[in-house]
Amino acid sequence: MRILIVEDDPSLASGLTRILEAEGYAVDVAGRGEEAVGAARGERFDLVILDIGLPGMDGFEVLRRLRGAEHRVPVLVLTARDTVSDRVHGLDLGADDYMAKPFAMPELAARVRALIRRSQAQTGPKILHGPLTLDTVARRAYLAGEPLELAAREWAVLEVLLGKVEKIVSKESIIQAVAGWDEDLSPNAIEVYISRLRTKLERAGVHIRTVRGFGYMLEEFKIR
Amino acid sequence: MADASLREQLLRLLLLPVACILAVSSVAAYYLAREPATDAYDGALIDAGIALADRIHVRDGTLAVDLPSAAEQILRTDQFDTIYYLVRDPSGKLIAGDAGIPPPPVAQRPQDRSVFYDATYRDTRVRAAALLAPCGGRVCTITVAETTRKRDRLVREILLGSVMPQALLAVLTLALVWFGVARGLAPLERLSGEIRKLSPRDLRPIEPAQAPAETRPLIEALNQLLVQVEESNRNQQRFLANAAHQLRTPLAGLRAHAELALAQPLSEESRAEIEQVHSATVRIARLANQLLALARAERGGRVEPHSAVDLKGLAEGAADEWVHSALARDLDLGFELAPASVSGDALLLREALGNLVHNSIEYAPRGGHITVRTGARNGRPFMEIEDDGSGIPPQERERVLERFYRMPGTAGTGSGLGLAIVREIAAGHGAALEISHGMGGHGCRVAITFPHG
Repeated sequence: MRILIVEDDPSLASGLTRILEAEGYAVDVAGRGEEAVGAARGERFDLVILDIGLPGMDGFEVLRRLRGAEHRVPVLVLTARDTVSDRVHGLDLGADDYMAKPFAMPELAARVRALIRRSQAQTGPKILHGPLTLDTVARRAYLAGEPLELAAREWAVLEVLLGKVEKIVSKESIIQAVAGWDEDLSPNAIEVYISRLRTKLERAGVHIRTVRGFGYMLEEFKIR
Repeated sequence: MADASLREQLLRLLLLPVACILAVSSVAAYYLAREPATDAYDGALIDAGIALADRIHVRDGTLAVDLPSAAEQILRTDQFDTIYYLVRDPSGKLIAGDAGIPPPPVAQRPQDRSVFYDATYRDTRVRAAALLAPCGGRVCTITVAETTRKRDRLVREILLGSVMPQALLAVLTLALVWFGVARGLAPLERLSGEIRKLSPRDLRPIEPAQAPAETRPLIEALNQLLVQVEESNRNQQRFLANAAHQLRTPLAGLRAHAELALAQPLSEESRAEIEQVHSATVRIARLANQLLALARAERGGRVEPHSAVDLKGLAEGAADEWVHSALARDLDLGFELAPASVSGDALLLREALGNLVHNSIEYAPRGGHITVRTGARNGRPFMEIEDDGSGIPPQERERVLERFYRMPGTAGTGSGLGLAIVREIAAGHGAALEISHGMGGHGCRVAITFPHG
């Protein structure tokens, strides 16, 4: 896995490099926007961590050029500015996630993992989450190597949650993702599927947390 | 300033000239009108004297006035006045009439023509005419006098007919000035209204097209000032954005390195030291964020115009970040979100709600519950947060809104700015900020209630 860090502050760049290297990624650093665009054209990266406040060509421009060149590489935008318009602008230009400085390193590491996993899920047939494996082509699930029986709806709900690990998924968006055009799923039905998934997954340490009044969140898998 | 009122100044300025013009024109009108009228009356008076002259005859060698009593009656009275007469022979001897009529002043004794003069007879002012008339080959003096009733009446009529309308005109002029100033100043009133509608967020130039020409220079000067204020606001925003960037980037580096160091095997002492550095970094970052937020929340800190903001969507959008902080402290963060639309600044509103949530997370005991609510009550949109922590005692509820104030005995690492920021943001949206206790009298509830949509 190879990550490009585009950050002009040497101290932050070196900190990020060491943390991501400790996580097992290969890391390259570009201090200027032009440099980053050149590097991304020349080589293949699995993720770009992009600071907006760069000297010269700013992060938005870098993002625009990357996307203009049909680069599908996931981009995590870092910013020290905090206007909503910046955030919206970044996401509009095709950023995949957004973090405000300063941030906690464990959170950064989690977001990086989630982004890389998501981009692999889109390209590869298998979704991995701790002991859980979803083979999206064969439509088979495995828990700790053992086949896991999932009803079609349970599978659909789990797939939605796996697409957004550590993020809250609202009940409404689960219903939208799971229900067919002519179906009318109630929030209670979703609760039933979640409860069944919990029964099947909890024993292997895969936790689905309820966010009261809002939705659910698949927690990151932690070895205890 | 005693003469600050334009109206009073104008009146004061106008009063003296108007009074002078009124006085001069009255006097002029009086004399101009009286002169011909008096001449006519004098002419009638002298006619009476001439008529009398024809009646002087020489009888038995002496001069006598032959005046039947009926004729004398006619001569002596007219519609208004009593007429007196006196005929003296050349030696001054009384021939007929009222002996007491005063003679004309010496300088005016008639030589070859008649003279007119004013005198007093029987305690009444009279107008008299003296003329010379031939009598028996000599010259007699005839004096005719009449009371001044019709002349006085004439003066009254002149005054009423000419001076009164002028006085009325003057009063009317002053009244017109009084009300005209109000009317003339109405465009300024409207302009004040336009200016009142402006706010640091909305500094649109004032449209000069519908204003009277006289106020245009004022409007143009004002518009120029507005442009400058807006520019200075933008500069401040740029400064804030730069300051944020300049502060946060090195802090992010510092925090990254502290966390890297903590991930390595360390002696207990070194670990304690670096943990201090790490927590201080986190605190500084939070403080920097809050100072920046406060600067933005203050009037003029942001020039973004208000737009429609859905409070439900706002809470949902920020939920991820809050839930992780809450989970880290083993708190149950829940949501009761109903749609509620307000006109506002999305970034600031998110900041306000975030501050409330973080306060609850910071001070709630482990295992506690926090609920974020949005919706409308009595037609007014609101967002609020409720927890089952230790709450804020009533006597502290005002003070906790002050900057840098922290309740005595409070744990945690807060700066005491969170609620001050919330207060600024609420005020900037015309919203009410209310701190009370949670359900069942426990914990804390902080609500921001917006004006009617």
